Amino acid sequence: MALRGVTGRARFPCDVATYAMGIDKVEPSDADLVRRVRTGDTGAYGALVSRYRDRLGRYAVHMIGDREDAEEALQDSFVRAYRSLARCDDPARFGAWLYGILVNRCRTTGARAARRRRMFVHDAQALDGAAHTDRADQLDWTDAVDRALARLAPDYREAFLLKHVEDLEYEEIAELTGAGVSALKMRVKRAREQLQKYLREAEHV
Amino acid sequence: MFEREDETVERVIQHLRRPAAIDPGLDARVMRAITQAPPYRRRVWPLWSLLAAAAVLAVVLIARPWNRNATSKADTLQFVLVAPQAASVALVGDFNDWDPARSPMQTAQGVWATVLRLAPGRYRYAFLVNGVEWRADPGAPAAKDDEFGTPSSVVTVGGRGS
Amino acid sequence: MILAALLLVTQVAAQDPRLERLDPDTRSAVAAVVDSAHGIGLPVEPIIQRALEGATKGAPGLRIVAAVRRLAVDLGTARTALGTSASEPELEAAVAALRAGATPHVLAHLRDVRRPPLTMALSVLADLVASGVPADSAAAAVLALAPKAGDADLVEFRRAVERDIALGAPPGAATSVRLNAGALDVTNSSGTPGNPGTPRRRPRP
Repeated sequence: MALRGVTGRARFPCDVATYAMGIDKVEPSDADLVRRVRTGDTGAYGALVSRYRDRLGRYAVHMIGDREDAEEALQDSFVRAYRSLARCDDPARFGAWLYGILVNRCRTTGARAARRRRMFVHDAQALDGAAHTDRADQLDWTDAVDRALARLAPDYREAFLLKHVEDLEYEEIAELTGAGVSALKMRVKRAREQLQKYLREAEHV
Repeated sequence: MFEREDETVERVIQHLRRPAAIDPGLDARVMRAITQAPPYRRRVWPLWSLLAAAAVLAVVLIARPWNRNATSKADTLQFVLVAPQAASVALVGDFNDWDPARSPMQTAQGVWATVLRLAPGRYRYAFLVNGVEWRADPGAPAAKDDEFGTPSSVVTVGGRGS
Repeated sequence: MILAALLLVTQVAAQDPRLERLDPDTRSAVAAVVDSAHGIGLPVEPIIQRALEGATKGAPGLRIVAAVRRLAVDLGTARTALGTSASEPELEAAVAALRAGATPHVLAHLRDVRRPPLTMALSVLADLVASGVPADSAAAAVLALAPKAGDADLVEFRRAVERDIALGAPPGAATSVRLNAGALDVTNSSGTPGNPGTPRRRPRP
């Protein structure tokens, strides 16, 4: 029988020892912590926040392009997740569920940040023009990457980050974003092409 | 050129994968925000408390049809069918396993009624008259997907106090 | 451990005594659908209820099995559109909306503009279509109201449209008239991202 849905492989392991730096290996699992929160131990939620803060924060910063907005989106997502914790059907997959909340939240922030970014991109193009005339003003590479990322359409950026930076499977990204797998693959491909193009432009100064 | 371009994207990915230093003060802000709300336990309506509430409120609520308690998530609803010729009417639906024995209705002069307390959800239901005849609820939206060849209706409890 | 998990999964349907109302062949086919759905994290209660409805109505076993299979697939589509944080009531209502003709894109859009739970909004969309409103008109109306209208407002909107239809109004017209009338009360005139612009305030006659 053909049922669409997420494949079984867990992308958000219960103990994130592989990702987070320096966390003790006897950490309680996500499922344990969620259960404790549900029985009234609010403090246990703090452990979940610490656990996921940096990783989800990374996505938010790159997606939104503004650290302040990203931290606000991240904070909102944590609070919203706490308030709707009853709806987390599978506590062992708390991370994936939280991710979905964050991806959605980043979309609504996108509108505000996009206005800022458009001004930013405008500056970048002006600077590129100026750099043509003065090699000493060559852009730092990491700045170039940030600018290139900011120039991607939100759909493309979202798909690219979730696939290549956050390492999710296409099926998982499909669940989080509501897009189909083939549409996502196309977006990732376009994102890669455009990033190459923008970086090439930035290099030829 | 192809290799070099691929390399470029890989460098980008490695750069983006580096941890983004998020303000550790965020943790405290989150915890402050959530502890200002009522503790988690009170936001959940476990089954036992729904049943207890139903038992306590049943007598009062039956006298007040369509009562909506704005702060609770579950709703108490009255189902009515006018069927003066019927000998029996049962309410069956997604809320009682479609079991005619679970919610028999009471009649006063041909007006059949019963009251149920429903948790949030969208429920298909119908009336079974005399154990054999299926009727939809004329006062409710129709259940459009009628897969078994008999009419059904829909009632929705939204889950958010209105 | 995977084996144990698989065994655990197959227990779900086998343990539900309600399915004993079905004949053995139907029961095992339905149980297989239930277990598959459970295995990918979809809610099983709606599937079981659909089987019980068929049993009570005396439907042939094949029809029951076809109905539960279709429901399982639609629940998967609904979850892809709404994301993993969607609750069981939301998924049930989303299935109804999809079957009424709303696209997954509409569902995802609704998720972006309205705080959860989305149950009532999705239900109203499906119910409007059941009254004869064209699917795209119903979707547009619900999306326009979704950012600001409470659940009770949406229900009242649906009832008003149904009354107008019962009095002879064409369903599409009834919808847009009620939408424009209601918009004055429900929202201020500023649109939100993704929300089709609401009509300007007109002075009351």
